[in-house]
Formats: sequence, C-alpha cells, structure tokens
Amino acid sequence: MFGRHDYSFQYSNDQITFGLQPDGECHRYFREMKGGKRIEKNVVSQRGKIVVCPVEPVNLPEPVATNMEIEFDPLFMEPFSKKTIFLTFPVEIGVFVVAKKAIKALDIFSFVPQKYSLYGPSNGGAIARWAYSPIYEEIPGVNPLECGVIKLTVHNTTKEWVEVSCALFDAFSMKLYYSSELVSMTAVMRILSSKTAETEFFKEAVVEGMKKSIEFYLGRDIPVVKHNGLMEWGLV
Amino acid sequence: MVIVERLQELLQAPLFGTSITFGNLLWLVVILALSVIIARVTVTNLRRALEHKMSKNELEILLKVIYFTIVILGVVIALPNIIADLSGLLVAGGILGIIIGFASQSVVSNFVSGLFLMVEQPVKIGDNVNVGDISGNVEDISVLSTTVKTYDGVYVRIPNEKVFNSEITNYWANVARRFDYVVGIRYQDDAEKAIGIIKTVLKGHPFVLKKPSPTLYVEELGDNGVNINVKVWSPAKVWWDVKIELLWKIKVALEAEGIEIPFPQRTIWFPEALRVDTRSGETNGKEQ
Repeated sequence: MFGRHDYSFQYSNDQITFGLQPDGECHRYFREMKGGKRIEKNVVSQRGKIVVCPVEPVNLPEPVATNMEIEFDPLFMEPFSKKTIFLTFPVEIGVFVVAKKAIKALDIFSFVPQKYSLYGPSNGGAIARWAYSPIYEEIPGVNPLECGVIKLTVHNTTKEWVEVSCALFDAFSMKLYYSSELVSMTAVMRILSSKTAETEFFKEAVVEGMKKSIEFYLGRDIPVVKHNGLMEWGLV
Repeated sequence: MVIVERLQELLQAPLFGTSITFGNLLWLVVILALSVIIARVTVTNLRRALEHKMSKNELEILLKVIYFTIVILGVVIALPNIIADLSGLLVAGGILGIIIGFASQSVVSNFVSGLFLMVEQPVKIGDNVNVGDISGNVEDISVLSTTVKTYDGVYVRIPNEKVFNSEITNYWANVARRFDYVVGIRYQDDAEKAIGIIKTVLKGHPFVLKKPSPTLYVEELGDNGVNINVKVWSPAKVWWDVKIELLWKIKVALEAEGIEIPFPQRTIWFPEALRVDTRSGETNGKEQ
C-alpha cells in the first residue's frame, strides 16, 4: 500500500478498497472501508502521482490536537541514566496527489480507533492523541497499517530518581519513516526535572532502507521555530 | 509652455493664506495614497504567505501592525511637505480641537479599549464567546470594535469599550471542558449495569477524554426513577458536537440492554377496592 504510485493505483484488502479511476479527462479518487461510507473526490489532473504514506497521527476523526501522548508502564530512572525502549503508536495513513511539483492531501484514514486525552490542566495543558503501549526491548512485530514503532531513548539528565510513564510528542516535529513491513520514528526524551521533560525527533529510521513520509504538519508553522514536545505538567 | 507655467503657478500658489502650496498638498496626498497602496499590497501578500503558518488571531494582529506602520511611515514622510507657519490657524484649530475632542470621546475610549483587548487577549479571533448578552464566534478584533458572528449567522459589531467592560465568557480559552447529563432509569433496572453500559459508550467515543476520565454515579433516587449523573470531559472545540452525539448513543445503548428511561408515574392507593362497571361505561360511551 505505502509508496509512490501512478494514477492507475488501486488497492484492496478485506478492510479497505481505495484508489483512482479515470473519469473522462480527469480522475476520481474513491475509498470504501468495511462498514463505512464510500468517499469519492474528483481529481482534475491527467498525469501525476499518488503517494500513500503514514502521517502524523493527530488528524482523525478531525484535527483537534497537535500532540500525541503515549502512556507506558512506569520506568524508574536512576540519576543520569539512559535507556532505549520501543513503543508502539497508532498509524494514520495519508493519500497525497502530486503534480507539477505541487502536493495536496486527498484523504487520511486509519484502521485503529482514536482516543484523545488532556495532558496537564485544562488551562495551560494540551489536548493530545492518546495511546497505550507496552515497553519493548526490541522492535516488536506489528501490522504497519495499524501500528508504528517509536525508538525512544529516555535520558534522565537530573541527579534524582525519576518515574516516567508517559511521553508527549509534538506533531510538528515528527519524522515518520515507512517500508512495507514497518512504520517508525526515532526520538529522545530528555528528563529535565522530576516534573518536566522535552521530546525531540530525529531524521533517522529505525531500520535502514526505510523511506521518509511526507511531513503533513511541516508547512503549517514557521520553519525557523523549533518544535520540540515540552512536558511541563508531569511525567506520569 | 504656457500650460506648464500655469501649472507651476498653480502648484506654487499658497493655500488658505499659509505658506503651504497646492504642490505641497498634492505631494501629501500622493505619498499618503502610495503608503496605503503599499500597505495593502504588503498585507495581502503576507496574508497569503502566512495564513497556514500562523494562528488566525496572531496573523491578524501582525498584519494590522504592519499595515499601520507603513501608513504612519507614509505620514512621517509626507508631513514635511505641509510644515509651515500655522499660527493663523491656531485659534480656529483650538476651537475645532475642543469640538473634535468632545465628539471623539467614545472613539478614543474604544481605541484604548481595543489596545487593551489586543494586549490582554481575553478573546481571540475564532473563539466561541459570550460578551454581555451576545453569543457567537469572534470574527475580527479591530482597534475600535469587535465583530461577532452569532450562532444564527448574524453579524454583530460590538464597540471595544463595551467588550472591555462586559463580562466575557470564552468557551475556547481552555483546551478542555466538562459537561454532564442526568440519565434516569427505572427502579427495577440495575444501576451498576447501566453505568457499565454508559462507560462502554463513553470509552468508544474518541473525544471523550481518557484523562480526566468520565465520572458516573447514582445521583438521586428520584420520584420516577434512579438518576445517574454522567460527567464528561471533552476538547473545548468539539464539546457541543460530542454532547449532542453522546446523549442519543447512551439512550440507544441502554435500551438495547433492556434498560429504559422511566416515564413520570404515580402510585395511588385506594382504601377500598374499586368496583368498575364496564357495562355502564359502554352505555355511557354510546350515549356520548
């Protein structure tokens, strides 16, 4: 499913049928999920490409947040310790149309239900896409159409013991990579105090040879502003 | 040649007995017009370039600052053209100043209130607000007034002084908010089971926040049934949609499990058993 395709692209499995079909001089995009309504969109273009890739998982059912919170079993980090773990996150799939050096999102869908949460207080906190993940020591075997894998290095930079059981990530800084077997991100969580931390993504795939996804949230903000996830309302 | 000389004479002719010439005034108008045009072109292009990169509120404030900076710069450049001995106009100007001062009291008040609103930002463009008795979405905040589009689509312009002095409720100022329902079930229904069913419905909705988690409890043993209170936190931007969507889902889910919403009912006890004469009832019915 993932990759760059011609306008003749069509994909079908037991959960979804989607793709493009010629419609006169133009094309028609369609998508039908199991138990859902059929979506159709007219694409006024004769020649171009379709890119299907994972996007930042904060768009469905409608965009209300730009953060993702992953909850995991508590880690008790000794002072100045560092630990690399693997977590899973929900995947959202974007369909983009590319023609004449311009790109436009046609559709975003997902095979997993969404859940949102409030990180911090209602005044000053942030709404975040929420997901729970077990902690894995190595890359877990997951369905790439449903779950991605974050390689997260948790770094306790303080001279105190710290308990961590969640990580907040900013969609504007996410760097997603994909292959036919895996969707991945690589990030670090720097613990700055017992209550605060920052998360940052790297332009680095978990496995070599993976392709970089289109950054859906890159163009929406000023490029010079660095977007790290700031966790100032606790780490549990 | 004659036309040029005439034109030069006209441009150098003093106006209103001052040393300001028609040429000075023309330059003033040209420079001011140019500065307004440059300001508008700049703002239009900046809006196009930045509309997807900044929040609407910040963008509008930035564009206003840029617009007025360019216009004021134009005024500063243009002013030397009319610097002259204006003592002849002082008396008239003084009287005019007093009149304008009285007339523009509310304008100045609105202007100052507008500046305070922009700094304090109790409301932002796009927010869902109540200002006094007006409810709707903030469409624009200018230096003199705030524009609100009410929920029924009506344009309302509120002077900034009124906004500043009114009680403001901003539904979007905080990122999440709570709402609640009271769901009544019959006395013969199992309240614990009903709470479990409602919890399942809430768990399945993406915008019922995981944290803070929903609170459900038996609130009251009412006249007609058992009242269960359901408190739900939701993102502020979608809370209304969630509220109207969930209530029906709860009702459908409860009924699917055989739990019904009770109708008002009253049990009446008679000291003696009632004798009902159905035959006379039928007779009465026929007579009527």
